Amino acid sequence: MYRIAFDIGGTFTDFVMQDTRDGSTAYWKVPTSSGSPDRAVIAAMAETLSNGRASRDDIAELLHATTVATNAVLERDGARIALITTRGFRDIVLMGRQKRPDTNDMNLEKQKPVVERCDIFELTERIDAGGAIITPLAVDELDALVSTIERGDFSAVAVMFMHSYANSAHELEVGKRLRRDLPGIPVSLSCEVTPKYREYERVTTTTVNAYVQPIVDAYLGRLESAFASQGIGCDLKIMQSNGGLVSPAVARAYPVRIVESGPAAGVLMCAQVARDEGVDHVLTFDMGGTTAKLGAIDYGEPIIVPTFEVDTIRFRKGSGLPLNITAIELLEIGSGGGSIAEVSMGLIKVGPSSASAIPGPICYAKGGKRPTITDADVALGYLDPDFFNGGAMRLDIEAARAGIAEHIGRRLGLSGTEAAWGIYSVANSNLEGAMRVVSVERGRDPRQHVMIAFGGSGPLRAARLARSMGVPKVLVPHGAGVGSAIGLLAADQKLDSSLTRLIPIEKGAESAIQEVFAGLEERLRLELEQVSPHGSPVVWKRSCSMRYRGQGYEIRVDLPDCVIDEGFMTAAREAFERAYSAQYGYTDAGASMDGVDWHLTALVPRSKVPSWREESRTETDRTVRSRSAYFPEAGGFLETPVYRRNALCSDQTIPGPALIEDRESTTIVLPGDVASVSRNGHLILTINQKKN
Amino acid sequence: MNAITKNKVDPVTLTVIWNKLISITEDMGAALRRTAYSEAVREGDDFSTGLFDRRGRLVAQGNFTPGHLGAMPYVVEHLLARFPEHTLRDGDMICTNDSFIGGSHFPDFFMMMPVFSDGCIVGYVVTSAHHIDVGGAQPGSQAVQGVTESYQEGLRVLPVRIASEHKLNADILTVILGNVRHPDKMQGDLRAQQNANYVGGKRLAELFREVGFAQMDVFIEAILNASEARARELIAALPDGTYSFDDRLDDYGPGTEPVLVCVDVTIRDDEATVDFSRSSDQVPAGLNCYINYTRAYAMFTMRIIAGFDMPQNAGTSRVVHTIAREGSFFNARFPAASGGRASVQMRMFDAINGAMAKAVPEKVRGACTHWCNPNIGSNHKSRSKWLMYDLIVGGFGGRAGHDGQEGIAAVMNSANIPIEVHEANCPVLVRRLEYMADSGGAGEFRGGCAVRKDVEVRDYGVVTLLGDRHKFAPYGLEGGDPGVLSTTVLIRDGVETELASKAVMDVEPGDILSFRLSGAGGYGNPNKRARDRIEADIRNGYVTPAFAREKYGAWEN
Repeated sequence: MYRIAFDIGGTFTDFVMQDTRDGSTAYWKVPTSSGSPDRAVIAAMAETLSNGRASRDDIAELLHATTVATNAVLERDGARIALITTRGFRDIVLMGRQKRPDTNDMNLEKQKPVVERCDIFELTERIDAGGAIITPLAVDELDALVSTIERGDFSAVAVMFMHSYANSAHELEVGKRLRRDLPGIPVSLSCEVTPKYREYERVTTTTVNAYVQPIVDAYLGRLESAFASQGIGCDLKIMQSNGGLVSPAVARAYPVRIVESGPAAGVLMCAQVARDEGVDHVLTFDMGGTTAKLGAIDYGEPIIVPTFEVDTIRFRKGSGLPLNITAIELLEIGSGGGSIAEVSMGLIKVGPSSASAIPGPICYAKGGKRPTITDADVALGYLDPDFFNGGAMRLDIEAARAGIAEHIGRRLGLSGTEAAWGIYSVANSNLEGAMRVVSVERGRDPRQHVMIAFGGSGPLRAARLARSMGVPKVLVPHGAGVGSAIGLLAADQKLDSSLTRLIPIEKGAESAIQEVFAGLEERLRLELEQVSPHGSPVVWKRSCSMRYRGQGYEIRVDLPDCVIDEGFMTAAREAFERAYSAQYGYTDAGASMDGVDWHLTALVPRSKVPSWREESRTETDRTVRSRSAYFPEAGGFLETPVYRRNALCSDQTIPGPALIEDRESTTIVLPGDVASVSRNGHLILTINQKKN
Repeated sequence: MNAITKNKVDPVTLTVIWNKLISITEDMGAALRRTAYSEAVREGDDFSTGLFDRRGRLVAQGNFTPGHLGAMPYVVEHLLARFPEHTLRDGDMICTNDSFIGGSHFPDFFMMMPVFSDGCIVGYVVTSAHHIDVGGAQPGSQAVQGVTESYQEGLRVLPVRIASEHKLNADILTVILGNVRHPDKMQGDLRAQQNANYVGGKRLAELFREVGFAQMDVFIEAILNASEARARELIAALPDGTYSFDDRLDDYGPGTEPVLVCVDVTIRDDEATVDFSRSSDQVPAGLNCYINYTRAYAMFTMRIIAGFDMPQNAGTSRVVHTIAREGSFFNARFPAASGGRASVQMRMFDAINGAMAKAVPEKVRGACTHWCNPNIGSNHKSRSKWLMYDLIVGGFGGRAGHDGQEGIAAVMNSANIPIEVHEANCPVLVRRLEYMADSGGAGEFRGGCAVRKDVEVRDYGVVTLLGDRHKFAPYGLEGGDPGVLSTTVLIRDGVETELASKAVMDVEPGDILSFRLSGAGGYGNPNKRARDRIEADIRNGYVTPAFAREKYGAWEN
């Protein structure tokens, strides 16, 4: 039997097919069909069936990571939605938190919400912070509202009332009425999507859910019917931002949970590689065409954070739309191969603006005029102009060099090579800053971590980044270019649910905590029915976002899955103190603590399959070529050996300087470092930690 | 690190180091916010962070509030005068909230820590934060009315060594906390500041060790010089001349005269001088600005108008000079009361902006919505001890090519505090928070709408109001209309009573305080407004059809 995973990116759609009998995998890429991304998938599946790779009855599972929800938000081409909210609070979703993205730029506009003011409707009702009803729901206003929405051109409705996390009665009543009277229109209630406090964040999450719902629904419908017409009867599973797979039914009900689908899968791939290699603590480094994403794995598990921000302005924290969804922790910055370099005030600035795929870097020769990171990479000899994307595209190295000399070198009085090296170095320093946030600032010692680098641009600079951070070892997984698709194979099915309830972590609160977890479990059991067959084994995980009493920001800590008694309280307090101390360097001994957001996760482990491994090597050409590449620590341009990755054997060690190429990426081995191939086919760079 | 030649620094390394210095200040801010206790700091971002070199020159600052940021260099100068380099040890922290030495009112506490590397001071890290109460006449320590000198405004801490060996001094803390209404929040926020300094200091020391002491000096010099050169280039691009503008604050408490806000901005070659000397004398109320505050907002406004695109540091400060007559409203003499001076920041911006409209009309905007900053807290009749500190902000004035943005922090860049957070912590119920139709000044590019926030109190208490533009509307430019006036209304038993913008009064359970800000000024002749903009405004309810007919009559034909 086979499991087929597919991840749709901006340029390519990646496929991975795994044989469940021995774990062997094959991967391939097809160009993404812009506009309707499902077309390329459907065509590729048809081809897979017709060329005999697999027969329709052999396909056990289809696993999918998708950017369809993200793109709808980024491009604001989601559905026209109506928002119903408490009288007096129509403008909450428009105002946001009102802070300018940049103190010193008064012309930079804040991010646009996904609903227009004329589509926001108010109902008379009010509940207070304790859940008490101050003003009952004006049921008599509902008739008029329902017919207004019916007459309007709305594809979905969102409902958010004040303090509905404390008492959801009014939202539920309105929801029931809308679902009865407007059966074709999906309804997102904030108490179902995210029963957590802070009204702007809750209403934004709920409106984004409604906004992407019709698009996700139609998209999944097209996929399902196409697979059905091809006679593929197996389950389709969708990746959520938290790294868990769910059924299309859950993805349709809570599409906001799948906005960070692909990147989450990439981190799961790293977790699988870490397991293969027996590594516990990992820093993940994924660098593609427009951005870099950095994450971490502690004790073998990717870190899950309770919020995610989509559509940030210049990658500034707090400038995007905040979503209350669990997501794999990733820091995204505007550094990718297409990031543009420019001179400002005698300095080199790289990113966040990007040449994207069109016009692209100068070396693509598709009209790009401004030098990018990729142009510097090719000018420095790191990329083979004739073997880019496996030779599918030729790069114009002379144009790249000329562009760098003109836009950077001449203006700073640097030679062309110095200017290219400047772009490379400044880009690395931006990455180092981000990596520092993910590691040191969050209590992770880089010296105790292994870096896993992937994406088209990651392996080109992983060694330098590791060196500057003191990371002793870098892994470049095979199939690094289709990392997200591979990650899907390693995913479990996972559901989670959270609730805001302020409860002191002390004796006497046991029953309140029990009640919260019982409520969350009941909710998850309902969703589980839509995800996996009855009786599947379920692993429950509890956690809580806690803080010292009086603080405003919480740290999420895991709680034991045991009886909630005095021992439970002690464990919770200790877990919080450990986490607080790791993050801030001290604890407030004796201070009271409160639990604020309570989380429960239900995990249905995937059926045991052998760990994925590489298909037998196709590359027979073992010739070691060479080309001139720039290593300033060794005196400048050196004639550097170039290896084909697929031709390497696991007993081989390669001293730097060297370049190791496969179709998707090139790995740089620095002078003083050594590369080798692990038993599992992953490339290992051992970093000599002597600073240059 | 790459080598440096004698006079020229390598631009690549310079970029890397500059970015690192700025990122340290951002990290300090993150640590401060996430460990703070008061809503003002943890939700409202009412704090700032900075790095100084060993000579006390500002090198980098975080993306926080300009009032703190702009005052910081002068605060450090004062602190180092009292605690010279040789008296400082590793782990010391020097603290002050003095209005003259510091940020111009007592709630702002500055904390400075020397950073040591190999036994020598290599620089200083500094944080400032608005503490929600420092004692004095009224909760929140920002009352304008009923306060005539700063001794009535709460606790004044002249520069003291508040920490040694990275530990806060328990005795000093006891003195401070014994004088404030919410000692738990104060202590938490002071610790958050200490913590942020610790985080920043550690990273700065690492950077010096990595790069080398002598080389860092060269880089810092290069950073300051490059910033100064760029600032001079941008100021030189403004036409030479002296540009003046006069505006007024409503009053300095119920029943008092307006305060004149008069500015003369002189551009000569590549330097600018902002002079507030023609303004009123200092007033016997909690509203005066000490010179550090005036400098902060003069610098900020010139930065915006000239389009400074480099980070703030001592280099840029060499190019913009701020003066005001001693004893005047903008250069008050101690012990002038100043608790409510935050209310004046918007007017400094508007005045300089109005003056520069005569020089570079394409770079300015109609006057912004005046914000308000009320403190509602418990008094002797209250059933519990509480304090609601609020930041209510409106929109921007229109500018060439663009309508004013709605609902965004104007000058001081703080965030709002979520209603659900306020209601969970204070006996209040917010009845509405919304934009007001027809409030933005009409224009080819209209001003942003006013914001209305109605707060019902559910306990006895006292409110200190801190608003403005009840009497003098935010101006429009280039033919644009002014925005509507602000009102503050008490609704008691269904009866509406208008309040003065800076009154102090007792409130009772069931009272609703209705804060209705002013609208922002328009830009350009309303007759030129594009039809699709008018239609979108009507569709979205920012403008009513009747108002549109009155202001943009020609559009319907």
